[in-house]
Amino acid sequence: MVGLVLISHSGTLVEGLREMVAQVAGDEVTVATAGGTEDGRLGTSAPRIASAIRQALDSGADEALVLLDLGSAALSLELALEELDPADRLRVRITEAPLVEGAILAAVQASIGSPIDQVIAAAEGAATLAKLPRD
Amino acid sequence: MPEIRLTVIDPSGLHARPAAKFVQAASRFTSRIHIRHDGREADAKSLIALLGLTIRPSSDITLAADGPDADAALAALTAELSPYIDPAGNPAG
Repeated sequence: MVGLVLISHSGTLVEGLREMVAQVAGDEVTVATAGGTEDGRLGTSAPRIASAIRQALDSGADEALVLLDLGSAALSLELALEELDPADRLRVRITEAPLVEGAILAAVQASIGSPIDQVIAAAEGAATLAKLPRD
Repeated sequence: MPEIRLTVIDPSGLHARPAAKFVQAASRFTSRIHIRHDGREADAKSLIALLGLTIRPSSDITLAADGPDADAALAALTAELSPYIDPAGNPAG
């Protein structure tokens, strides 16, 4: 099963998102989070991101899909990927999907055992998902 | 191909949590399963397709299944939706 890694500048945001994901998709999908800096401020941290990715891969996920928020999250993620063992790195994919909606859609798709390409497609579909009725 | 028409009565329509449970239930069957609403059709095994239908309260939906376990799939999915639906033709107040 695909697991998720959620990266945000805010630890509160990813913890809340983890709760939403578990309620909608169930608790079978592994969700690891890296929110905020090591000293609890808003920001991103490469070591925390690397640790979240390893946690997802070590707790039963065959592959990990990473979703992130904005700006320096991408730079920290790049550094985190360099820290990983090459074998782990091969099991990680990244998506530009919107963090909140993408995580929920990806988790539901992962929960039914879909391969990672389908999980990524579900997450990325969140960018154009209709939220309001058409009429 | 068996079909069943239902009316959504939940005040929130078919919202994210029941929709996700519905997708998980549908994925346990090998049949192709579709949900139709307002002239559009979604794959019942895809949450994004289902949420994209923006199914609102008091609207009619049709479930259609095609495959070896089609009848069992429709029965199970109707049961899965039972807190949120009424047989079509009995509009909720």
